[in-house]
Order: sequence, then structure tokens, then C-alpha cells
Amino acid sequence: MAARTSCRHFQRRFASSAAAALRPAPAEVWQQRSAVFSREQARQRALYPRVEKIEVSMEGPGLDGSLLVMNRGTSTPLSCARHLTEHHVTNSALALVDGEPWPLHKALTHSCSLRLLTFRDADPTLVNQAFWRSCAALLGQVLETAFKDEFWVELLDSPELPVTSGAFCCDVALDPQLDSWSPSEESLRSLTRAAQQLIHQDLPWEPLEVSPSVALEVFSHSRSKKEEVERKASQSSGGTVTLYRCGGHVLLSGGPLVARTGLCSQYEVTALYECGRGPWGLQRRAQGLSLPLQLQAHHTVWRKLRERAQKPVRVTEPEEVTPPSSPPPPPSSELNP
Amino acid sequence: MRLTLQTLISHGRVARRMGLGPESRINMLRNILTGLVRHERIETTLARADEVRFYAEKLIDYAKKGDTDEKAMKMASFWLTEKDLVPKLFKVLAPRFEKHSQGFTRMARLPNRENLDRAKMAVLEYKGNPFPPLYPVKKENELTLINQLLKGYREEKTQELYMKCTENVTVNN
Repeated sequence: MAARTSCRHFQRRFASSAAAALRPAPAEVWQQRSAVFSREQARQRALYPRVEKIEVSMEGPGLDGSLLVMNRGTSTPLSCARHLTEHHVTNSALALVDGEPWPLHKALTHSCSLRLLTFRDADPTLVNQAFWRSCAALLGQVLETAFKDEFWVELLDSPELPVTSGAFCCDVALDPQLDSWSPSEESLRSLTRAAQQLIHQDLPWEPLEVSPSVALEVFSHSRSKKEEVERKASQSSGGTVTLYRCGGHVLLSGGPLVARTGLCSQYEVTALYECGRGPWGLQRRAQGLSLPLQLQAHHTVWRKLRERAQKPVRVTEPEEVTPPSSPPPPPSSELNP
Repeated sequence: MRLTLQTLISHGRVARRMGLGPESRINMLRNILTGLVRHERIETTLARADEVRFYAEKLIDYAKKGDTDEKAMKMASFWLTEKDLVPKLFKVLAPRFEKHSQGFTRMARLPNRENLDRAKMAVLEYKGNPFPPLYPVKKENELTLINQLLKGYREEKTQELYMKCTENVTVNN
């Protein structure tokens, strides 16, 4: 009996070390992913060898009716913004092409109507969601690069939290050697500093729409990512998957991301806690809080929001949002007209 | 012992001189006041608006006494040159300012007149008029990211407070 358990323990130990020996170094994996991404990007750009013109009609306050003549397959909404003013370049986070959300660095392929969205619009819900998703992607990238080379980090499909929940999250499964490690204040602060370095570099999030086969090739070393690719491919309408590259890292995302990392400021990683054991090992959830560059908060407000973000956020389903017994309305004082 | 001619020096005299004389001044103010009661918001020169303000408020004080009062009716019929405005004063303006004791008018400066005289202009209005406000209130957008975060924070705090209250109630019971 004891021999059997010790054999199992040794087998497990051998299995993990064998798996670790088979896995290449993280830096090589990132380089390979980036190389496949660049290759696919060059191939997609080579689909338009000759310069073909398209007409883009702008929509927006003060821009209604302006017509821009851009190049098919090369011009992005950012280049349209460059034709307008510096304010449009620095403040636009997302674009609406014919009514559908379009990342700012994605090339335009047909004549369309373009609307640039900022954080201060009348209805910035799309921009807020994209910003939250981008912050979560940044958190994932920071977690990937934070640990030493001998530890393997697996980014899982993190749930998309709404903005009102107070924090964005990123699910990660760390190397089994780190199962006993629990993060301290110092480690959270160093993660925050790494994220702020990325923000300071102002790296653009380059989007690329690829077929599932290319995406599977990109993530050939990560099983969870391959499953995620298949899930997203089945959910999307065209059967394609959108990859984003920031710096040297390729990420997978459920929706459009904002233009560059420099748009976030006051970024902070607030918590990292365990949330059960899954098929990939001990799952941990990292939570963070960030605000756009144009909407910075006073330090008292920031402190209150950060304290809220440190608590684990409950991922509530839409049906469970309203509690069974609604709280009594607070005594409303009669306001003198 | 005064050695200077008081009549020709105007130090300290605060009363304004308008028009051709005191009677002309009162007639002018009467016309402006009638216009104010009819339209509830008028544009004149700064000095005239400032003068009319005193009389406009006093008129409302008289109107509050009610149209059965002799003195009030005499005042109203003197000051309002268009007699169809007398019922409007007693039936519309007086009830509007029932709860207020003072401050029935509001004055705001305008850009100077375009004429050669470049006179200082002002807009004078009775409060509670149906026009859009002179100083529009800028509503903050509820849907910006920071406001949405704060909304979530506020909801969580009320939830916590409610939980604490119900906890106290059950503990007391």
C-alpha cells in the first residue's frame, strides 16, 4: 500500500519533470508565437499588392459628411484619425465601422462609414467593455512574464466581468511547483510595476483575424488555449478568431481591445487568490483596477475603489443579479423644488 | 460750516437719472415693467434693468395682497399700461411667488450692444418662467467608466448596509 502510493508519488514527480523537460522555455514559446503572427500578418497584407482606394465617410460631432479616400487593406481607423486632428488620435479608443465595433489598428477592407469612439461620449458602454477587456489582457501578459523561466504559466479563459463589478480579472493556472506559494503585498506591487512599465511603453494592440488552424498553430504549446480557440471559433459568426499582439506577446480575446496600452493609467493589480482546482491544476484569479488616461480619479476615490477591488468579485449570472427580497427603499427626504 | 455748493456736487448721490426728468424716468420704467410682466424675460440696458428690478419686486409684493385690496389694484393699474396684464399679475404671478418672501427676479449680464454706443446690456426675468434656464445645468454623463465604477461601489455599500440592518433586526428579535 505504502509502496503503491510512493510509486504513484514518484510517477507523478517523474511525469511533471518529464512534462517540464518537454516544454520549451517560455521565451522561445513567445518568440515562436510572435513569428507565426508576423508571418500571417505579412501574408494578409500581401493579399493587396496594388494600392486600391476606398471611400470612408466620417460620422461624429463636427465630422458629419466628411469623406476620406483611404487605401484598402492598409489604412486603419487610426490613419483616418490622423487625417483629422491630434485630439482624435490621442482620445479615440475604438471605432465603429458600419455600426460594428472595430479595433483602431485593424485595416479597413471596404468603403464604409466610420465613427471614432472616445471615453467621454454620450454612450461609452462599448468603449468601457473594450477597455475592461484590454486591461484584463494586459494583466494576463504581466502574469505570463512575471515568473521565472522554470515555472510554467497557463492563461485560462477568464470570465468577462461587467464594469460595475469593480474589477477585471484574469484566470491563470500556475506551475504545480508553485501550489504552496501565496502572493504577498510585495509581489502584487511588483506585478503592478511591471504593468505600469508596459503602459509607459505605450505599445499598440495589433489585431489580426485568422482562421482557427493558424490560431491552433500559434498556441501549439498550450492545451487550454487550443480549447479556447476552438470554442471561440464555434461561437463567432465567420468561423475566424481574432488574435492581438502587444509587444512580443500574442493574446486571444473575446472582443475588440482598445488601441494602445498608453490609454490606461492608474493601473493596479489588487488581488491574487485561489479559486479551486480545475483540469489545469490550481486555478488562481488575479484582479485589477484601472482607469483611462482621460478619466483619472482623485486619490480618495481611487482608494475606495481599490479597496473594493481587493475583495473577490462574485461572478453573478444575469438571472441572479436581482436578489429574491429587494432591499427597502431608503427614507427619501422631500426635496424642496 | 459748509463752504461748498451742495447742489452742483454729486458726491454720494445714489439715485440714477434717466430720460428727460423724474416723470420721464417713471414712465420709461413703467413701460419696461409692463414688458417684463407680459413676456417674463426681457433684454434692456444694465442701468434700466437694475432700476426696474426694485419696482418689479415691489409690484409683486402689492399683488400678493390680493386684487380685492384697493391700494394693490391702484398700484397695478398705474404701473401696467396694458390693462389685460392686471389679471395676469394677480392670478398668475402672485400665486407663483406665494412661498417666497423676496427675490422674485433674476438679472444676468449680456454682451454689449452691437451699436456704436456699445451699451452694457442685461436680461431680466421673473423666476419660474417657462423658458430654458439662463445658467444651464451641465449634467454629468452617468455612463462614463468612472461613474459606472462608483455606481457599483454605491450599490455594494447599500447592500452591505441592508445586510447589517437585517442582521441587527434578527439579533434583536
